[in-house]
Amino acid sequence: MNWEEKVERLAARAQAEQTPHVDVTQSVLHLLTAGPAQPLTVAERFWMWLAAAASAVAVPAGTVALILYTRSAGPLNEIVEAISWAVQ
Amino acid sequence: MIRAAIAECVRALAQSVYAQNQDLPADSRPDDWEDIERTRGGDPEAYRRLIERHQDYVARLLWRFSRDRRVHEELVQDVFVEAYLSLRGYNGRAPLAHWLARIATRVGYRYWKEKARRREVEPFDVEKWDAAVSDGHAAAALEPDDAGALLHQILAQMSPRDRLVLTLRYLEQCDVIETARRTGWTKTMVKVQTMRARNRLRKLIEQGGTELVL
Repeated sequence: MNWEEKVERLAARAQAEQTPHVDVTQSVLHLLTAGPAQPLTVAERFWMWLAAAASAVAVPAGTVALILYTRSAGPLNEIVEAISWAVQ
Repeated sequence: MIRAAIAECVRALAQSVYAQNQDLPADSRPDDWEDIERTRGGDPEAYRRLIERHQDYVARLLWRFSRDRRVHEELVQDVFVEAYLSLRGYNGRAPLAHWLARIATRVGYRYWKEKARRREVEPFDVEKWDAAVSDGHAAAALEPDDAGALLHQILAQMSPRDRLVLTLRYLEQCDVIETARRTGWTKTMVKVQTMRARNRLRKLIEQGGTELVL
């Protein structure tokens, strides 16, 4: 009998081993209810999606606004300079 | 509505086929799916039932990873916390017990890697090992608990990766496919890793002067 057959026999004997009984029900539920990582409620999920949608709209809108402002800044400055005497 | 009904039928059919083809643990239950849906809906009682139904199976798996009762209980707890947090990813194609087995393997392996990083070495007395398995009454008289403890001790001398593949191979009696499923490795990787780990175990036993007489 080689070493592996002996190890396999030992393992086969270990199959009948009794595992200590554990009861983690309370501790797991306590951790899950006390911890921050809980599934989102319907209302939280709604606000989360609303925030995501608002961000998704705000970012391109901000980009477009910046582009438009940059384009219009030149002519606007000319107008301001043209009427600057009135301000003085 | 019709799509949901068809999906439910396919899931039930897949589970029944899977159950016929696999050596399922006794804890695999068809009513798991209902409790999973309820848990996803925020019902803690449903998750309580799932834990109660599967904790003995998970505890048995994790006993291979730590024989310290306090650590063992913590690992079982970690499995159910992790399972809860990733429950949305469970698609029901395989029984819940198999999905939990994968998580348990991941949690146990992570524990071994942390121990190895901290350079914690479990004691292994070669003389004690020899005495326990070499004397005449060893074959018949070795208690299952002692056999498990001995194997645990010798496998603890190996790297986490070797230890994992040999634990699944010898103690959990997993074949290549099942080992690949539990570890997330490819079948080729499992075969290569098993071969290397076996060679290293052989050397460990031979160099340790261990003569197993069973």
